[in-house]
Amino acid sequence: MTTSVLSAPQQHKTRDGLRQTYALSKRSTLEIFRQPALIAPSLIFPLFFAALGASSFGRTVGKVDGLKDVSSFLEFSLASTIAQGVLFGSTTGGTALATDIQNGFMDRLLASPSTRVGILIGRLAGGSVFGALQSIFFIIALYPFGVRIQGGIIAVLIMVLSGALIAMSLGGFMTAMALKTGSPEAVQGAFPLIFISLFFSSAFFPRESMSGAYKTIADYNPLSYLVEGLRVLTLQGLTTQSMAQALLIPVAIGVGSFALSLRQLSNRLAQL
Amino acid sequence: MTQPPIQGAPIVVHSLVRHFGSGDNLVAAVDGVDLVVEQGEIFGFLGPNGAGKSTIVRMLTTLLKPTTGHALVAGYDIVKQADLVRRSIGVALQDSAIDPLMTGTELLELQAVLYGIPRAKMHARASTLLERVGLTAAANRRVITYSGGMRRRLDLALSLIHEPTVLFLDEPTTGLDPMSRLALWEEVRRLNREGTTVFLTTQYLEEADQLADRVAIIDHGRIVRQGVPKELKAKVGAPTLVINVSAPQQDLAKSVLARFGEMRPTDEGSLAVGLIAGATGVAEVVRALDEAQIDLHHLELNEPSLDDVFAEATGHRLEGATPTAEQTVK
Repeated sequence: MTTSVLSAPQQHKTRDGLRQTYALSKRSTLEIFRQPALIAPSLIFPLFFAALGASSFGRTVGKVDGLKDVSSFLEFSLASTIAQGVLFGSTTGGTALATDIQNGFMDRLLASPSTRVGILIGRLAGGSVFGALQSIFFIIALYPFGVRIQGGIIAVLIMVLSGALIAMSLGGFMTAMALKTGSPEAVQGAFPLIFISLFFSSAFFPRESMSGAYKTIADYNPLSYLVEGLRVLTLQGLTTQSMAQALLIPVAIGVGSFALSLRQLSNRLAQL
Repeated sequence: MTQPPIQGAPIVVHSLVRHFGSGDNLVAAVDGVDLVVEQGEIFGFLGPNGAGKSTIVRMLTTLLKPTTGHALVAGYDIVKQADLVRRSIGVALQDSAIDPLMTGTELLELQAVLYGIPRAKMHARASTLLERVGLTAAANRRVITYSGGMRRRLDLALSLIHEPTVLFLDEPTTGLDPMSRLALWEEVRRLNREGTTVFLTTQYLEEADQLADRVAIIDHGRIVRQGVPKELKAKVGAPTLVINVSAPQQDLAKSVLARFGEMRPTDEGSLAVGLIAGATGVAEVVRALDEAQIDLHHLELNEPSLDDVFAEATGHRLEGATPTAEQTVK
């Protein structure tokens, strides 16, 4: 017989908290899929960029450093396509939270005995589910064009999980922005900053082919290592390092962004 | 779903103050409010826009911390025991804050989870409430398709999910058409008959008059009058005679009216006097105006209203006290 370390009221509170978080997660997930116009761009644009890259830089395959062992530019692009799509999608959670603040739904949540952490996790969960589904979508969409995952089914699962984690970790920054400003427009306005950080990484070109300041920035950009982890899973197969890069980097970013969100939430509540 | 304390009055407010801004921009939105709402009352909180009504509701519902002062709601301190207050009260805020992408049923079930209602009871409770507010047929439609009245009714249902002992309604009928307003009033009365204490803010005099057992009138963050509507109106005393005359005759008419009582504030273009002689003095006023060869365009005698109480207390009328066509949306 096992005994819980929690007292009965604590267990009750924990169970209620988990139930609340699940219900709020379900709400945020439903919301995303009930707005096709909101999710379509984050599925279409990354594929457009992948097609554009393949047609523009396809001839560099086998010739340029970092692309010498690659069979197609599309295969090389899968990791950046996933990262791009999830980045696009990560704004939806923050924008939705800002809308909740603006239209008063957040007040409804705060006036109820719901857990504050549950409100945040619930908000991020929808984006996370969408991030996972985006990863699956891109893997399937590029399959007919010869893109194969060398790491097999385990690598696919890691990539899907990574998509979910990236969405949650970057969504945390958007959530913090939403809590700071309470404005959906401000959240959307901050999106280019995150997108630029993807451009200043090795998402679109291998670091081996870069030089100067651009390379230096890419060397220090954690997104480079995240995308490279996904890329190794696609091009070379399962390695401990690639798995760690694909999963632990978003977790590390997520810990920081979630802490920032919690801080903004407590700041917001303190100002009330 | 913990509820007990209460004991004594469900709402006790003592010297509540809320400031916004700082330095030269410091604004006292609520400036030392004291009030007690008794068990089973409908308490009307009446005042113009910006008077401080919503700020008080936000403090009493734990959404805003007071600058100074304290309050007990359902027997719990609004700052130190905020979570217990939240479990005991129902709240329907000014702009029915409802997620338009969810259905009525989904929102009620979400609300049930937030208040810790067991899964086994959740569906039944949601169905009962939807039926109660007449939304069963629309239960599985997204809220975006609801009319303003339907949203308000759903908002009310959401606030009742955990059977609260104290219900806060912040301007529940603002923007509603007359039929929806009447339906909501009836529902509030029904809830009150069942034992729920209701704290209702409104800028509509008729609403306060129709629903409230007692009212507090607030202006510029301070309560200027508090009591039973009938008694407050009786204290104002004489009925108000309102007349309309042509602009050139205004001054002359005013001097005539002043002989029959104290002039009272009214709309531009009208003149109003508190008739000391009561309704029986009307004939005499008409004769006097006729003798002064004043051409009377319109005349009406109004029994004292809460607007008169407000005017007597503040020196000005309550703007927007009756809903206009522009304010009423379906």
